[in-house]
Amino acid sequence: MTPLYEGAEAYLYPVTWAGRRALAKWRPPKTYRHPAIDEGVRRSRTIAEVRGTLHALEAGVNAPAIYYVDVDDCIIYMERLDGILFREYIDAHGVTAETLRLARDAGRQAALMHARGLLHGDLTTSNMMVAGAELYIIDYGLSGHARTEREKAIDIHLFKRSLESTHPEYMEEVYKAFLRGYAEVAGEETAARMDKLVEEIRMMGRYVEERRARRP
Amino acid sequence: MASAATQSSCRVRDLYPSIDWGSEVIVLGIESTSHTFGVGIASSKPPYILAEAKHTYIPEKGGIHPREAAQHHVQVAPRILMEALSEAGLSIRDVDAVAVALGPGLGPCLRVGATVARALAAYYHKPLVPVNHALAHIEIGRLYTCLDDPVVLYVSGGNTLVAAYAKGRYRVFGETLDIALGNLLDAFARDAPLPGDLAPPPYVKRGMHVVDLCAERGSEPVDLPLGVVKGQDVTFSGLYTAAVRAARRLRDRVGDVCLAFREIAYSAVVEVTERCLVHTRKKQVLLVGGVAASPVLREKLASMTEYHGASWGAPPPRLAGDNGAMIAWLGLLNYMAGLTCSIEDAVVKQRWRLDDTPAPWRA
Repeated sequence: MTPLYEGAEAYLYPVTWAGRRALAKWRPPKTYRHPAIDEGVRRSRTIAEVRGTLHALEAGVNAPAIYYVDVDDCIIYMERLDGILFREYIDAHGVTAETLRLARDAGRQAALMHARGLLHGDLTTSNMMVAGAELYIIDYGLSGHARTEREKAIDIHLFKRSLESTHPEYMEEVYKAFLRGYAEVAGEETAARMDKLVEEIRMMGRYVEERRARRP
Repeated sequence: MASAATQSSCRVRDLYPSIDWGSEVIVLGIESTSHTFGVGIASSKPPYILAEAKHTYIPEKGGIHPREAAQHHVQVAPRILMEALSEAGLSIRDVDAVAVALGPGLGPCLRVGATVARALAAYYHKPLVPVNHALAHIEIGRLYTCLDDPVVLYVSGGNTLVAAYAKGRYRVFGETLDIALGNLLDAFARDAPLPGDLAPPPYVKRGMHVVDLCAERGSEPVDLPLGVVKGQDVTFSGLYTAAVRAARRLRDRVGDVCLAFREIAYSAVVEVTERCLVHTRKKQVLLVGGVAASPVLREKLASMTEYHGASWGAPPPRLAGDNGAMIAWLGLLNYMAGLTCSIEDAVVKQRWRLDDTPAPWRA
């Protein structure tokens, strides 16, 4: 069977599951990893993805429904969404009222997730899908549990950075809309604190020019 | 010197289409970003690299002490400079421009190279060419491998990043969030501690890092944290802590600890490279930096690229690690593209990012 999509980590196949249009996501073995470590990596990410997706759904986030998981072969059978990645959407449409509405919704959903203590772990515009009028957050393979606000801010920082690397010209507007959505759920105060933490995390990066000026 | 005489088989005009390769230009380059003081001489005519001389500071114990490394550079600078000129059979007056790595790197070390370069430029009235150390690694790598548009994996004691060229400069796709891969390997080798016969210094024996030699004694990797890859980035500090603890707790299984440790560490950088390769749809990978010499890392990279139908390459080890020839080569490209600076402006930039550095000669 030819995959619908070949990612670096997983292949996606269009399948039918109990009569429903479904997607099979398979994490193939990597020959460059030691077999024991390869199995550990693939298993733990498959389990993290299923667990994270279920927690996200419980929190009220738009995420694909999970139908079945084969942990030994690292295959997840899930709902097949028909849409395009948010990254591609921004590419195609630029900043429109609809783009900003979707970004706000992404922020709202991220806050719902965070309210439940769930971290996405790879919250980029490539892991968001626009299907119909809805924005979905997908790919929970690197998800985990948040213990501190700073960890939640890492999610938001990653979102901001993904905009910076793919759509630098739209970053400010889209990020602002995202934060507005975040504030709708988490409150203005929390959202403002998150924005401050995001800046702090950026300052922790390697070779950040402004960092020098801040040193006493 | 054998390594300096190796010629690339591709045509430089294919690698650098916008440069006028008609006239002969000679540039001297100075490297002093970290533990190595190096001087290289590059020409716009084959064999391109005319000389490559260097001396590396080796700490008696512990890691690099920036001030001691800088003192080392001050002591060896005149001798290394003369060695490079005599290897090329040139006088400093034959050189068209002086290039220097102004960053990124350790401040005290950078200042030695910058001082030497400014003095040469001022005294002999030569144009001064600023060079980014990371970009220099990439361009000498392209010259020696003939890879025209690769995804770059740069792994050394101080740097770990994956980058690819797009729109006028190399963009950093992913990088370490804390320590570099070479730093990780060395620090673990010091602190684990490794079995007596492998305990550093030296960190590399018979072309293998002592951690790799230790791993050869293992068979069943122990459980260590697998969460090193964070999206497009890597974070090694948690792995370091867990591995040192495991080595101290499981004294009779240090080989298994080394095996798990280096497998997780190398696989993480290969995985980020793989992500970049798939994301950019490029078909080549270039491996540069001091850790590029690792046979284990090379094997993993070969396996990954073969799977994706991509090719890979690395410059010879002497030119993959820090050296002056790469500074001279990038200096030559920058000089021919008109990127020079005044002596007053030639100040060191410890945090000079690769993605803040223009690469106009790629277009």
